[in-house]
Amino acid sequence: MSKMITQRCETNIRRKKLTNKTKGRMLTLAFVFILCTCVFAVHAQITGSVRDKDGPLKGVAVTLKGSNIATQSDAAGHFRMATDQVNGSVLVFSHIGYVTQEVLISGLQPVEVILEAAHTDLDEVVVVGYGTQRKQDLTGAVSVVKASDVQKRQATTVAESLQGLATGIRVRGGGQPGSEAQIQVRGMKNLSGTPPLYVVDGLITTANRDFNPSDIESIQILKDASAAAIYGSRAANGVIIITTKQGKKGPAQIDVSAKSTLQTTPRYDLARTEEFARLNYMAYDNANVPRQDLDMTVDTDWQDAAFRTGKVQDYSLSFSGGGDDGQYFISGGYFDNKGAVISTGFDRFNFRVNTVTKKGIFTIGENLAISSAKTDEMSGNPYIDVLRLLPTIPVYNPENPGGYGYGDERRARTFGSNPVAIADLEDRTNANLRIRGNLFSELQFLPFLKYRFNLGYETSRDHHTFLRKAGSWTLNQPLDPSRYHENRAESSTILVENTLSFEKDINQHRLNILAGQSYQRDRYAQMWGTKRNMLENPAGGYYTVLDQGNEPQTGGFARRTDLISYFGRFEYNYADKYLVNGIIRTDGVSRFGKDYKFGTFPSLSGAWRISQEDFFQASWIDDLKLRANYGTLGSSNIGPYDYIPIINTFPTIAMGPGQVTLPGATQIQLANQDLRWETLTQQNYGFDAMFLKNRLNVSAEYFISKTKDVLIQYPLLISTGNDGGNPYTNGATLGNRGVELSVTYQENTKPFQYSVTANITTLRNRVIDLGYGQNRTFSGNTVTEKGQPLGMWFVLETDGIFQSMEEINNYQNADGRVIQPNAQPGDIRFKDHNGDGTITNADKVIVGDAWADYEVGLNMNASYKQFSFSMDWFGSVGAMVFNGPKSVTDMFSDNTNYRAGIQPWTPENPNTDVPRAYYASTMNSRGDTDRWLEDGSFVRLKYIGISYRLPSSLLDKIYFSEAQVTLSGQNLLTFTKYSGLDPEFNNNSVFQKGHDFGVFPNLKTVSLGVQFRF
Amino acid sequence: MKKILFILLITVSSLISCDKSLLDQDNPNTLTEEQFWITESDAQRGVNAIYHMFYQPGTWSRWIYFRLDLTSDEGFSKSPWIELADWTRFQYVNYNFLEGNVITYKDTYKAIFRCNQVLTHVPTIEFADENKKAQLLAEAKFLRGFYYYYAALLWENFPIVTSLQSPTDMPEASTLSDVWALVESDLSEAAQALPLQWSGNDIGRPTKGAALALLGKTYMQQHKWNEAKSALDYFITGEGTTYYDLVAYQDNFRAENENNKESVFEIQFSDAHKTAEGDIPSSTMSTNRAQFFAPRSIGWSDGQARYWLVTEFKKEKTVDGEIDPRLRYSLFYPGLEADFGDKVYGRSWQWDADEAWFRKYARDYKQNHDDYFNEVNNRVIRFADILLLYAEVLNELDQTANAYPYVDRVRTRVNLAPLAAAYPSIGNDKDRFRERLKMERALELCGESVRWADLKRWGDLETQAGIDRVAQRDPDFNNFVLDKHIRLPLPEVEVANNPNLTSNNPHY
Repeated sequence: MSKMITQRCETNIRRKKLTNKTKGRMLTLAFVFILCTCVFAVHAQITGSVRDKDGPLKGVAVTLKGSNIATQSDAAGHFRMATDQVNGSVLVFSHIGYVTQEVLISGLQPVEVILEAAHTDLDEVVVVGYGTQRKQDLTGAVSVVKASDVQKRQATTVAESLQGLATGIRVRGGGQPGSEAQIQVRGMKNLSGTPPLYVVDGLITTANRDFNPSDIESIQILKDASAAAIYGSRAANGVIIITTKQGKKGPAQIDVSAKSTLQTTPRYDLARTEEFARLNYMAYDNANVPRQDLDMTVDTDWQDAAFRTGKVQDYSLSFSGGGDDGQYFISGGYFDNKGAVISTGFDRFNFRVNTVTKKGIFTIGENLAISSAKTDEMSGNPYIDVLRLLPTIPVYNPENPGGYGYGDERRARTFGSNPVAIADLEDRTNANLRIRGNLFSELQFLPFLKYRFNLGYETSRDHHTFLRKAGSWTLNQPLDPSRYHENRAESSTILVENTLSFEKDINQHRLNILAGQSYQRDRYAQMWGTKRNMLENPAGGYYTVLDQGNEPQTGGFARRTDLISYFGRFEYNYADKYLVNGIIRTDGVSRFGKDYKFGTFPSLSGAWRISQEDFFQASWIDDLKLRANYGTLGSSNIGPYDYIPIINTFPTIAMGPGQVTLPGATQIQLANQDLRWETLTQQNYGFDAMFLKNRLNVSAEYFISKTKDVLIQYPLLISTGNDGGNPYTNGATLGNRGVELSVTYQENTKPFQYSVTANITTLRNRVIDLGYGQNRTFSGNTVTEKGQPLGMWFVLETDGIFQSMEEINNYQNADGRVIQPNAQPGDIRFKDHNGDGTITNADKVIVGDAWADYEVGLNMNASYKQFSFSMDWFGSVGAMVFNGPKSVTDMFSDNTNYRAGIQPWTPENPNTDVPRAYYASTMNSRGDTDRWLEDGSFVRLKYIGISYRLPSSLLDKIYFSEAQVTLSGQNLLTFTKYSGLDPEFNNNSVFQKGHDFGVFPNLKTVSLGVQFRF
Repeated sequence: MKKILFILLITVSSLISCDKSLLDQDNPNTLTEEQFWITESDAQRGVNAIYHMFYQPGTWSRWIYFRLDLTSDEGFSKSPWIELADWTRFQYVNYNFLEGNVITYKDTYKAIFRCNQVLTHVPTIEFADENKKAQLLAEAKFLRGFYYYYAALLWENFPIVTSLQSPTDMPEASTLSDVWALVESDLSEAAQALPLQWSGNDIGRPTKGAALALLGKTYMQQHKWNEAKSALDYFITGEGTTYYDLVAYQDNFRAENENNKESVFEIQFSDAHKTAEGDIPSSTMSTNRAQFFAPRSIGWSDGQARYWLVTEFKKEKTVDGEIDPRLRYSLFYPGLEADFGDKVYGRSWQWDADEAWFRKYARDYKQNHDDYFNEVNNRVIRFADILLLYAEVLNELDQTANAYPYVDRVRTRVNLAPLAAAYPSIGNDKDRFRERLKMERALELCGESVRWADLKRWGDLETQAGIDRVAQRDPDFNNFVLDKHIRLPLPEVEVANNPNLTSNNPHY
């Protein structure tokens, strides 16, 4: 047998030598040699060809039913099979993405088989970083999100519109114009809140608000170590790969879309003057404080003053097309959002040119995007201000500096800010011009060997302005003169990459090898200036240039990070049955000290398409692939120089009779000089299966990850004297594990087409270790403890309301000590957990966490004739959240407006969960109790839309090839017990994810859009 | 084909061999710690940076006045920020409350860190003039003693740190007497090297007199009367005699005539940088006290004066039958306009008839508002204080008769009769003298942040009877628990994170 193999191989080699005289190809012989495997005794031959409706099919697996004999079709679709029996044999033709066909053989005539495409997406090509893979060949956890699902939604950023469309991601955003949603892939894997790595057309960047989502061709989310390992040290938080649209061969195509949207903010239900006054008097009377002299003639609805209907206009236009030698895609877009809060807005202009040209072995192309974005930023927080201002305060009051109404010591004692005043008196804008692009060239030296050079460049010119006009928005505010601040910044990224890829199919063996090197340099520099007492413009406002005004201040700084990387990937596929994938990446970064710069991140994964095995007989399963992988990723979201202890030269002092300013310098912040990479190790197990003639598609993942050396700014002892932020240390260890399941059912063959996708994600995170040998760290109302999830709620537990003095006196500890001797009926009873007979911070306990038990998405699409309908639901279950706004409206200890219909305890009305109203004492209104914690579970209709496609008979007359009108809405329905404005809120703090501090909520929107193609 | 492959190989390999030195990026923004502490100028800048701590909110730009003035029976808070007000009336619930406790604790250690850097690094720096080096070290010693002095007053058992800390260092627990011992040694050493007077742009740095004055106070807090007397003798009989005198009373609280002859140690505030606080470029060098203490509708009004001060001022007229002029410069009170023709920041009285606010360091004498950029220096120790302290020391040393002239010097400046003439019943009765001296100090120094130390030194808070008497002037003291509220709790986080601190202060 072994002799035969050798002979056979030699024959192969000789033939190759004959056909290809190129010595260069000798290089591949080693591979060929390795890949030579078993052959069998030959008596007869069956030949034939396989094609689909478009032409010959390559790589179709042809097996002789009931035997081990198999072969594959070649590039021309031909196959040849040796067998000792011909007549009566059954050949099975299977190919991913096609319906498997069985053919009965009789005689030696060539067999002609035409395979029918199955309705699956398995043949899709997935971008996996420095290359592509067929979706069916994936060995790691990669979520592919359809660009159209993202684009149908009206969103400013990509992240925002991913909600509910993929498993394993947590998305939280809000409706503030120009705000960027936060996205987390597979849990918190470190403590720096690092977003996933965005790779747009190979450029490592961010898909932030100045990126136009309508340019997207495809989105893939690399979730596990094997998938993301090619991005090594920056991949621990997941990788989102975005590819922008390219032109397609064919006549020029023009696409136009226009969408107009109305946005409304959810609102609080607040008391009006009459109800407010009654409650306010009650709070004062209970506290024995003389009532304030409320102005009952005023009844301001502060929400009317601060909120309005937001509007979004979103237009885009693109031209694309090309011939055999080159293609182009050119797009332009304009997005304008007038915010749902007064004096907020965002607009964006986009321009993109993607082209690619081919000549011989040479391909050259570029992707270039230019965008200009400007945000009119919000000042203060109107979602808190509307609560803190009383309805008895007028919006305008000419007696106050600046002319706005606000608190008054005698008539309306509140320090709330007038949102109309602050919106007018503080003017903040943030604008940037970004140029982002890459230029690449490819040399296809040999059919199986390609060299690619990629040069990426991105720059953003940022401009921030802040004008503080003279005037006040709150009681007792110091009189500040006008002030103008302006900063200009410039960031740039240069990326140079060289990759060499080898791709070859030999019989059933498919081999892909990639080797590459990359260098990236990121720079940022800023300068700023401030002046006071700006020159007033008699026509209104001020002259906002820094030549005007006095008392100048200036500043500026710069930073730079360099990253050098080497990476390689090895993919091997045998007969679409066995898939092995190995990746290694070594990164060196300037952010760490001499001995810690380099880190190496390997991963290995494999998949077994069990349904391709002959013994696999379950005919109702069309495809079944099992996957497993293990790998290591890195992360280091710290400043470029954090490991270097530095001297702060800013402290100046005044000295001498003239109070001259003298310079000072000292070390303020301590530094740990041995900082190094965070390393995440992750195991992932999954399967992909298709049932019911490829109609039902199921994918599942289970993963376990552990991040070691997590960079944590663990609080140092105050006695160290450290300031300016706690220094990073590689202190903590975090664990995450989760299950992700996605099920799709689709029916595409009938006139009524539909698909339903349900997905569910569960995630458990656990702190395995904290820094400096510590066991716990506190942040706000949370504690993070070894062995527990991050940021557990740590508060005093309430236990109802005292109804009588008797209850108060009987509320004693074991020693008979009255626990709350100063309480009165109507006050909150707190649990004395440590039994010491008093209520102190030592009685705080862990009562829950802010993490959802599971999150689900449900996406439905249906179409019938010219109509199509789409609906996305998203749900999150089990999070406990802190209702910050309620802790304002329900406190009574300070003057705020109250919830309409609130029923504080009174002797006449004892059946309530609101304690007695009491002014100027925090006894019942402490912020650190479970009184403000609520179930944050919700189910929300994220999107609903209906479209009508104009019939082609009509289109032909107007020379359009496609036209569609869509009416859609977002966040129109929400089912939740949460009493705040929006349970789907975003908090950027790592430890206080569940604290709603009056966050800008998600808005309800209704959009009307039209799309044309001609 | 071979050629192409060869070229390719060369190109790729040359690109791949990226220069690793690219990864050695220095911080382009500032000096590293390694590059510093080398020259005389480094030493000078290092010392200057300690003074900058006076401008940070935990210390002398804001919150310490809530601890020293409002917690004492001279002041209180009606702030609608309940927790802030609670921390001026012994209702300490959350020991981690930033503004009430942690920020001052933290800024104290920040200042100590700066002192320790100077004391660690400067000895190894070579100086052309060794005397200059000794002076710089003495300034750092003085300032370290200064911060520990106030730490001793506030927390008492304040863990001592005298060396540079690494992120993992954890100091041992300390007792009050440990802290006093450190303050004594720092100030004694500082006094040996500090000059009698500074000149030019150095005026405002601590002098030998400043060190001895604070040392005297330190001894007095411990009732070490003999040691206190010898420290304070410097001003009375020693070489400091010629440098100090009393000036027009109001010149102690205004931006004009700063660093005058009455000033023993003065914090230099300036409005040159109207920016944010902290260690940022051009950070503020101002005090916000007046903005926080100004009456309602003018400032935040988070702190105000107890009305008994007004009553006490009015009890004794000057020899010309006038109201004690110190009342005019000490307080805003309902009769200010009627008594002296002064308005409150340009406004007639519009507040309650029993309310008063602190006027010292306020800028109402020159403008109608205050803000965060008040430039009026704080005369932390002035000569009148020293005179009254010296009288107190003599009285405690049973030299009551000898104590009179020093009190009289303070009284006659404002045209009050000599003490013996005004209060003949005191005579040589030590206790009566002490009781009167307490009131003399209040009238001369109210609102100048010395009252809390005075109450502690006098032992007025060490018996329930004493506390009850204080509570008659300031009902906040009804919340005062004996042996508990005499000191602040250490921040809870600090106790939790430092295993060497087995417990918080007693009863917390």
